[in-house]
Amino acid sequence: MRSSARTTLAAIALVAVLFAAPQFYRSEYVLALGVSFATFAVLSGALNLVYGYTGLLSFAQVGFFGLGAYAAALLVTERDWSTWAAVAAGGVLAAAAGLAIGYSSLRLSRHAFAIVTLSFALLCMIVARDWVTLTRGAMGIPGLPVPVLGLPGGASWRLAKPLDFYYLLIGYAVLAHAVIYLVVSSRIGRAMRAIKLNEELAQSQGLDPLAHKLLAVTLSAFLTGVAGGWFVFYLTIVDPSVFDFYYTETMLIMVILGGPGSFWGVLASCAVLTVVPDLLRFTTDLRMVLYGFVLIIAMLVLPGGLGGWLERRRLARWRKAATRSRT
Amino acid sequence: MSGALLEVRGLTKHYLGLAALDDVSYDVRQGEILGLIGPNGSGKSTSIDCISGFQRADFGAWSLDGQSLAGLAPYRIARAGLTRTFQTVRAYDQLSLLENLQVAAQQGDGAGWWQALMRSPGLRRREREAEERGRALLATVGLADHAGAPAAVLSYGQRKLLAIAASMMARPRVVVFDEPVAGVNPTMVRHIEAVIRRLNGDGVTFVVVEHNVDFILNLCHRVVVLESGRKIADGAPALIRSDPRVLAAYLGKSGAEAAAQSEGG
Amino acid sequence: MDPTFVLQLVVNGIVIGVIYALIAMGLSLIFGVLEIVNFAHGEFYMLGAMAAYFATTDLGLGYWSTVALVTVGATCVGVVVFEALLGSVRRESFERSILLTLGLSMVLQNGAVFLFTTTPKMVQGSYTYTNIGFAGMQVSVLRLFALGLGLAAFAALYAILYRTQVGRAMRGVSQSRDAAVMVGIDPRAVSRLAVAIGIGMSGLAGAALAPVYAVHPLMGFSFVFKAFAIIIIGGLGNVSGAAIAALALGVLESLIGGFLPQVFVDGLAFGAMILVLLVRPQGLFGRGVRV
Repeated sequence: MRSSARTTLAAIALVAVLFAAPQFYRSEYVLALGVSFATFAVLSGALNLVYGYTGLLSFAQVGFFGLGAYAAALLVTERDWSTWAAVAAGGVLAAAAGLAIGYSSLRLSRHAFAIVTLSFALLCMIVARDWVTLTRGAMGIPGLPVPVLGLPGGASWRLAKPLDFYYLLIGYAVLAHAVIYLVVSSRIGRAMRAIKLNEELAQSQGLDPLAHKLLAVTLSAFLTGVAGGWFVFYLTIVDPSVFDFYYTETMLIMVILGGPGSFWGVLASCAVLTVVPDLLRFTTDLRMVLYGFVLIIAMLVLPGGLGGWLERRRLARWRKAATRSRT
Repeated sequence: MSGALLEVRGLTKHYLGLAALDDVSYDVRQGEILGLIGPNGSGKSTSIDCISGFQRADFGAWSLDGQSLAGLAPYRIARAGLTRTFQTVRAYDQLSLLENLQVAAQQGDGAGWWQALMRSPGLRRREREAEERGRALLATVGLADHAGAPAAVLSYGQRKLLAIAASMMARPRVVVFDEPVAGVNPTMVRHIEAVIRRLNGDGVTFVVVEHNVDFILNLCHRVVVLESGRKIADGAPALIRSDPRVLAAYLGKSGAEAAAQSEGG
Repeated sequence: MDPTFVLQLVVNGIVIGVIYALIAMGLSLIFGVLEIVNFAHGEFYMLGAMAAYFATTDLGLGYWSTVALVTVGATCVGVVVFEALLGSVRRESFERSILLTLGLSMVLQNGAVFLFTTTPKMVQGSYTYTNIGFAGMQVSVLRLFALGLGLAAFAALYAILYRTQVGRAMRGVSQSRDAAVMVGIDPRAVSRLAVAIGIGMSGLAGAALAPVYAVHPLMGFSFVFKAFAIIIIGGLGNVSGAAIAALALGVLESLIGGFLPQVFVDGLAFGAMILVLLVRPQGLFGRGVRV
């Protein structure tokens, strides 16, 4: 199992670099970029789990993101919960929403699932804007308190500086990816891929498609909801813009360019797409237009993204070997 | 009840006003190879789609070893011990042959979600066993050389062999083959016949649906014949071969009379 | 409860319902024939309104000529969109088609924001402030025009689907593509027409309503999710189901909006959709292109 040991080593090295980086580049800009990367890494990783591995195109992710965010913020400001508990509860609420949406629409068809997830995300934004008594409407809830996290051993960590949030979010992103990796590299992940590749064949082999799909949706909803909770405490404000379609569009591009179903491909494309646009200083509108073109061209020409292209090359090598052995 | 392994009673399905299946009943006995033949539109494929849960029957009951399977989702029927192959030869193209077989074995070993996630020692042992069995099956069907290759590189006949191997992985009680030799060359037909015999020798029960009547008459212990949704014959191949109703169904009335005359009565 | 007030709400609701219907019917038609959910559908509504704004403001055209021009233009755009993008996507790759139209929507929406800014534009035409009074209400004459146009479009669509050969072909392809091909129908020609009609109707809706509501690049976005909910409620691919569901939604939204907080109006479409999915998943009127 040499390649698996190599992968582990590379992963550890990557995590070490991420944690050590701020010691060398202590600038607000780099820290903000890091937080953005970590957040989008969780968003795109979770979407990859649902879409890339299980084959379900879901637009609900941003809904879970914002739901977790609002829940965490409200529990802390209105009910005086500890930040740990509030963020976790936000994740659980998001997971419950995911379960409800998944169960009601997956039994029908993929078309229905796509439409329902889209409607859910849009509805969340509208409710956040209009249910003023609950969410304070378009103004949102500003001035979220500095989180004080109790650590094992009795110490407490006050997240007052951007550096603190950097470590928190990078740490969470690593944890989330570890969980995702644990699932997708297990036989559960293998089953999800089988269901995506050929659902009827998987059925005839005793695999329960609905159970696996619901697991993917619920887990990705939980991870995304928790990310939302941490993210708004970093911003110190939660408002309806946390449901912006911009998040959906960006995480979709990350997954598609990286290759749906490719764990490292998506992570790589997330890193590239977080850093490069900022380097190139595009205005947001033109960036979105560019993403739109990229999406169109990718769908017409290269639907598998980077991971898919690598996969096709691997297939071509096998094909050559197979024909050689037959002649 | 007749004590058969798989009992089908009164299977009926209507489709756009026509009876695709009309009160079809048959038994499959432990250890036998049952053939299911009939001209186009006779309902052969529909009947196995129904008993494997991929189409909903309008009426009827069927049970495996006394356990009723009617109305169950396809994956539950597979878990109960009835697996099948498909006419359209399905495989997981992007996965290797061995991985294809490992997926097919997954559900059969009864490991739970938590064990799967935590990779418990028990699970790892079962995975190793499944891998060994998979390699053995690949050797039996003749695909051992391609164990690590993605299924997409296989030829049509090889895909059929892979599907046969996959259907065996979960240690099923009954396996239903949907046209296992359609569209393959004569050498491959003989090879597949040998493979099925070999697997049957290990004690697995088979139902084979086919258009190739010679193949069925050579291979099977018993044959059931359908026509226009109804069962018209049920017996040993020798009897079926000369059954006038069967001949009429395949050759038309005049052809059957001609064949009967040439057989001498 | 003032009956005039309620009547006013109903009339307003019918007008908005007709507009919902124009958009949803086109979406349903495209889904029925091509099995593609057109994410960019709302953007064509917006572009129709934008074009109407420029036609009225810069070219000085009157209401009717603007509507006619924009409708014809939108239909041509529909043909272009089909030829360039949708025609090459196969039916099985549903996710590809939805992402393709999503990309198109991103380009159109953000491009419009970049070119025209998000500042709403008001179309000033000769009819803008004209009202007709009857039964104690004041109804903007423009809304009546929009209502009339919507009904005319519905009648035209009915005529095409049921009285022409190509309409029969569209219904055939929507029910069973394979059967239609066997009978000799060219699915590509039928698909092209379906997309042209669908997008044309969106453009028509945009142009018809441009003087009534403010015109801005994000106006299509909010219609899109309601249109999706409507086609689920009416039955995926069922054009008349979409029309009826759209009308009902318009009236109900208007009535609820008159008495309850805004958030109930927003939740109505989504709630109804979830209810339908749970209780009658094939839609209130079932699938397939039926009028």
